Amino acid sequence: MLLLLKIEWLKIKRYPAFWWMLVIVMLTYPSINYMFYNVYTQFTQGKEMTNNIAKMLLGNPFAFPETFHTVAYFSSFFVLLPAILVIMLITNEYNYRTHKQNIIDGWSRKEFMGSKLIDVAIISFVVMVVYMLVALAFGIYADPDNMGRIGEQLHYIPMFYLQTFAQLSIAFLLGYLVKKAFIALGIFLFYYLVIENILVAYFKYKKIAITRFLPFEVSDNILVAPAFSGNFGKDAKEGYELALTLVGEQIIYTCIYTLIIWLICFKVHSKRDLA
Amino acid sequence: METVLQLTDVSKAYGAVKALKQVSLTIPKGSVFGILGPNGSGKTTMMSIVLDVLGADTGTYSWFNQSPSSADRKRIGSLLETPNFYHYLSAVDNLKITSAISGRGNDQAIDEVLEIVKLTERKKSKFSAYSLGMKQRLAIAAALLGNPEVLLLDEPTNGLDPVGILEIRELIKRLASKGITIIIASHLLDEVEKICTHVAILKRGNLLTSGPVDEVLSNEDIVEVSAENMDALKSCVGQIPDVLSIKEDNQRLQVHFKAGTAKMEAVNQHCFNHGITLNLLLNKKKSLESKFFELTND
Repeated sequence: MLLLLKIEWLKIKRYPAFWWMLVIVMLTYPSINYMFYNVYTQFTQGKEMTNNIAKMLLGNPFAFPETFHTVAYFSSFFVLLPAILVIMLITNEYNYRTHKQNIIDGWSRKEFMGSKLIDVAIISFVVMVVYMLVALAFGIYADPDNMGRIGEQLHYIPMFYLQTFAQLSIAFLLGYLVKKAFIALGIFLFYYLVIENILVAYFKYKKIAITRFLPFEVSDNILVAPAFSGNFGKDAKEGYELALTLVGEQIIYTCIYTLIIWLICFKVHSKRDLA
Repeated sequence: METVLQLTDVSKAYGAVKALKQVSLTIPKGSVFGILGPNGSGKTTMMSIVLDVLGADTGTYSWFNQSPSSADRKRIGSLLETPNFYHYLSAVDNLKITSAISGRGNDQAIDEVLEIVKLTERKKSKFSAYSLGMKQRLAIAAALLGNPEVLLLDEPTNGLDPVGILEIRELIKRLASKGITIIIASHLLDEVEKICTHVAILKRGNLLTSGPVDEVLSNEDIVEVSAENMDALKSCVGQIPDVLSIKEDNQRLQVHFKAGTAKMEAVNQHCFNHGITLNLLLNKKKSLESKFFELTND
């Protein structure tokens, strides 16, 4: 296990795309959150009545402990960036034919797939660390007086990890089965950005409550919209409360989905001809 | 004799194309085993199966008389079809991965094999910057890493220049003399003939023959003779017992005998007794090439 990790790190650490992904994530996460932070400050900084009401309704979503929730929610929009890397890491093995060579050199089929599982775990971890740093920075910047509450919502860190890992596992499955980076990426993008959104809208319109079981929605619903979204009237409040109560279930379903994805990968790989 | 690799009735089909048909083969320890066959005869398929890259449809194989496992492959240095490396990594980094996966070799051993294949000067260059021949050299280095007890080389001289081919041939001879078992697939007959102790010939997935090179080649002895008066010579050698056939070729006669029955002195004596003086008398072993064409021609 440790040896697999070491070998994968040898492959990843000199892969330029990995560092590019990291740089872009490190730029994107603070930027998107800063954008919303700006919107928030503009709403609340004026002296007028409406500004005060806004402040009351919104609280400060970027102060401790809410920052862990808010930053997780906004950052998770950009799972696409690490997904590109995950797809590249598996399709590279096909391109370079190293998926064969690794076996020839002495890995079992199971060890190869295990090493890929570790890849996805590493990327998810790296992305999670960036998210943690950004959340911490916003917490300190937005309201240093709240430092004492830093530990209250730390559970959003593993939840962010789980969501990222689950969605990157879908990207991996596509890359693994399709073998061609651009096609896999195309399918991933098209489904993630278009198809699933259409399905969500359609089922909501038809009032069929199954959207939360769609492949991405199932883990999207682990990180519900930040708390202030529940402060705009009765409906929003109910929606927010309901979403919160479902988080536990969503976590379980996400784990099941992800487990199934990896079982498929391991199973297929144990039999597949490595052409 | 100890067996390194044993195949029993191995078959493999790609859809309608039957790539291997019930191939059974034994490769003894310490041999230099050449697997010959024209393009598409199933050489690479066979090697892929015994390296677990492909699954056989039927049949079994075993390395070192054990049921197949990934541990076997760690003992075998292999070059299958093409050099497969991470393009963005240097030669050294690529070999570090080979070493970590196979458990063979260390940093020092990496330097050693790079020296053997003459890549030391370019060891920090990325694989993608290598020429075809250099890539092939690196693949050979990876196979040699950590002195495996078996080498499995699929077209090892692909893409190499004449000097490189010669170097690899010498290298293989040197390794063979150390007792390492070497399995080489090739369509370059000359290459195989010069270095192999054993040979197997494949054609369209069928194993035509296999065994020690001498046995495979010599089911006939050929003696080449020539004299001033070719017609008299022809009728004269025709009377020698054990002669199977006589072919005329370029002012020479090729006299075919049953294996082990050609005696040069007797041929010389016979002709002399009949008043014919030979100006050429050659014991010609059948070349692997002619054997190969004979077996693989339709």
